[in-house]
Amino acid sequence: MTKIWKIIKYEYTRHVFKKRFIFNLLSLPIVVILLVGVAMLIASFTVNTKPVGYIDHSGVLDQPIRQENKGDMFNPIIDFQSYTYEEQAQASLDEDLIQAFYVIPEAFPESRDVQLIFLEEPSGNTQNQFDRFVRQNLETFQTLEPQIKTRLDQGSIVTMASQDGSREMREDQWYLTFTPFIAGIMFIIVVMTSGGYLLQAVVEEKENRTMEIMISSVNPGQLMTGKIIGNIAVGLTQLIIWLIFGWIGLTVGGQFWPLLRDFTLPPNYILVLLLVLLPSFVMVAAIMAAIGATMTEAREAQQLSGMFSLPIMIPYYISSSIMMNPNSPLAVGLSYFPLTAPITILMRMSFTVVPAWQIALNIAILIGFAILAIWFAGRAFRLGMLRYGKKLSFREVLRKHVEK
Amino acid sequence: MSIINITNISKSFGKIQAVNNLSFEVQQGEIFGLLGPNGAGKTTTIRMILDIFKPDSGEISILGGSMSEEKKNQIGYLPEERGLYQDIPLERCLTFLATLKGMDENKAKDEIEDYMKRFDLDEYRDKKVKELSKGMQQKAQLITTLVHDPELVIIDEPFTSLDPVNTEMVKDLLELKRDEGKAIIMSTHQMNQVEELCDRILLIDQGQRVLYGTLEEIQNKFSSSDILVTPLSPLPDSIEGVRKIRKLNGRYHLVLDDDAQPNRILKRLINADVEISEFEIAVSPLNEIFIQVVNNQEVEGYD
Repeated sequence: MTKIWKIIKYEYTRHVFKKRFIFNLLSLPIVVILLVGVAMLIASFTVNTKPVGYIDHSGVLDQPIRQENKGDMFNPIIDFQSYTYEEQAQASLDEDLIQAFYVIPEAFPESRDVQLIFLEEPSGNTQNQFDRFVRQNLETFQTLEPQIKTRLDQGSIVTMASQDGSREMREDQWYLTFTPFIAGIMFIIVVMTSGGYLLQAVVEEKENRTMEIMISSVNPGQLMTGKIIGNIAVGLTQLIIWLIFGWIGLTVGGQFWPLLRDFTLPPNYILVLLLVLLPSFVMVAAIMAAIGATMTEAREAQQLSGMFSLPIMIPYYISSSIMMNPNSPLAVGLSYFPLTAPITILMRMSFTVVPAWQIALNIAILIGFAILAIWFAGRAFRLGMLRYGKKLSFREVLRKHVEK
Repeated sequence: MSIINITNISKSFGKIQAVNNLSFEVQQGEIFGLLGPNGAGKTTTIRMILDIFKPDSGEISILGGSMSEEKKNQIGYLPEERGLYQDIPLERCLTFLATLKGMDENKAKDEIEDYMKRFDLDEYRDKKVKELSKGMQQKAQLITTLVHDPELVIIDEPFTSLDPVNTEMVKDLLELKRDEGKAIIMSTHQMNQVEELCDRILLIDQGQRVLYGTLEEIQNKFSSSDILVTPLSPLPDSIEGVRKIRKLNGRYHLVLDDDAQPNRILKRLINADVEISEFEIAVSPLNEIFIQVVNNQEVEGYD
């Protein structure tokens, strides 16, 4: 047991404290921060925060009151400036002191017509704020119940529900659509990292000719267990650090962007994510270990591993087809094929109600193949461990009467 | 006390019989030469001793029973296929491998320190293994084999890539280990090293035992009546009772007929007016024995 621990420690520290790993680890958050930074920069240049003027001939805004929610970077709160004469407002507009001005005619209470004068049309956010401002000052509005006032101010939140009521989609829970996509991408990156390291760790034993030394010190089972746990731990470290970055991002981003504020995932959703992704992770890791055990050179092994990692990505390539027809035979079929299953099922879950039995079958297939892959890897490892110069064919691994 | 006791082991790979009904034992405090031509089954035998392969039949008793994880810590192995982790610093590589032999990390570091000094490797401790020369890697590998002070040392061609100074040092080290009572199995094709170091040898060919016994016994058996002569005048072209004359560094090696007597040959040389400065009855070099035995398959196993 202590020997397994030593191997885990060796495999883990070998990668985690390497420049390459740290670079990999930081690359994603850096890219995200850069993208967010660029978006903010663009916003700061394009979002017009100048006040808006108004000339009120109707008397609605004689003693204006104003209630506005907290603004954010992309939707700042705009000040409204009162002018007595249109000429004054026009002069301010010409001098670029205000972004536009409204003229509210005397007949406004009956006609509900206003005039907006601008050089460049103000954003929807600005116009909405002015609408609210005027509405709040109407006499009829003042007499309403506070709850109704709030509802009127907030506008509508559309909730779509499937016919059988098993699934609801709220406008403000947009992220539930994207979560499987992001979880899938993270899964692929983590699996590729761990799998790649594991592949390398196994094939390196052969490249370095250390296998014989190792198995005269520990038994092959201990060696393999140590390697698998050590390298999976590397991938999980990466994942956890990214999740922490993500959490910080959401918290910090929420300050600027209210859309991010109510980001929560339903627990059963997380459960399905885990049930799908964990066996997939083990399955891919075992496939990589098996490739490492059969190949003799890292370069060669890397090429072959590409053949297995490509199918995992297929659902992304045909994502538009899966989105449009999430229950088409193609999409359903792909969610049962082990390599494409994890991403396909998650994608379908975003766009349709996947029957529970299909999810269960998908998970069962993944667990089954994970076990099969471990068995295959163990066998390939035992047979291939002392073959230095010669590749081990998959057929040999599967043949019954091979020597042990 | 015997450290290894092997009884009638056989192993085949598909149609190839790698080891065939082989028996021998290795004692405490001896250097045991495991010899044989390429493909004779030496590595397979070693791998079976180490429990990397299981024999098809027969029994292997090692350190008083079958192999266990604890016993692996008592064994030092220098495989024919040398291997160290290439991409990490030397000291880290050695420490990792030593801890896998059950050594405590601090103790391993101390011992490795000593060995690195002895092998002149301590200035390379932070260098990656792949940056070391072949000879240095060989020395590093020897450290890995010996650092945990194993009861049984199995070394395959320990002297390849070593210069004469290091070769002597390794020999001294092996003799020291023998004197401490360790058992050492050495497999090599360098017969002069076998003659210098080994107490007993086992020669196998095609998976079978061909010669087995102390070096002395074997050499006595094969010291046919060959003669080494250093003449001061030319030798006659043919001498009665001499099958073959070979020139060796100014001396002549006379291979005699089976029934010829060395003193008769000396007489004949004197009668032929050959001036002789040296006349010696040769002990067959192990090299010769090896070649002779391997070429004449029918040579009998011998106890």
